[in-house]
Amino acid sequence: MFELIIFFFFAVVTIVFALMVILHRNPVVGALSLVASFFALAVMYILLEAPFMAALQVIVYAGAIMVLFLFVIMLLNLQHQAEPPTRPVQQFLGFFLSIAFCLTLLFYIVKAGTIAALPSTPFVSDARAIGYALFEKYIFPFEMVSILLLAAIVGAIVLSQRGVSLDRRPD
Amino acid sequence: MIPTHYFLILSAILFSIGVCGVLTRRNGITIFMSIELMVNAVNLTFLAYARQNHSLHGLVFVFFIMAIAAAEAAVGLAIFISLHRHRETIDVDEANLMHW
Repeated sequence: MFELIIFFFFAVVTIVFALMVILHRNPVVGALSLVASFFALAVMYILLEAPFMAALQVIVYAGAIMVLFLFVIMLLNLQHQAEPPTRPVQQFLGFFLSIAFCLTLLFYIVKAGTIAALPSTPFVSDARAIGYALFEKYIFPFEMVSILLLAAIVGAIVLSQRGVSLDRRPD
Repeated sequence: MIPTHYFLILSAILFSIGVCGVLTRRNGITIFMSIELMVNAVNLTFLAYARQNHSLHGLVFVFFIMAIAAAEAAVGLAIFISLHRHRETIDVDEANLMHW
């Protein structure tokens, strides 16, 4: 019962802040709302018996990635730039399609109902178990991800340095 | 113990909010943040099914998704910085360089 109250409270927090992200005009407010939404999602991960993933969510997402977003917003001085509204037909189609998509997903989830009874034994998903899985079975994807991150670092530096011409004509 | 389909419903709602943001906004960074919302909705689904099936594979996948989201955010934001330097805006409607 107590768990359910926590779940519903943080579910509402997650959804409200997620709506703030897409409805607020100011991108700084949007980024801070997204941080709040990620914190509430970390609570969900703890309810799902994955405390290590909750820690990663707070450190990597709410910490590192969102700081990068905020940093770029501040760097480009976007908080004063008024965003022109999208065309009404695009607004209508976007909201209509996403609400229809949401209702379809909800319909099928509710139709499937309770999938199966949860196993009664506790789920061991601490850092030790994940570490063994990562470095034994998933060692090859792990190394691939490290190479991908290196490529992303190099790509980000190359793209954001001065003197890269986006224009087609040489000048 | 909270049933798995509660988490699936929350995940579906979050994903739809992300879709709505991508479809209706013009600010490139807000579109990026909507994509992050969708990625997190998928992470929630992975973790819900990992608990349901008592399998660690879901958690390892979430780990990889987080690393890839970090890489994507770094490269995408670098592209927006570069775009802003040339066009003075990050409105995605203005980014028509590859438009024929």
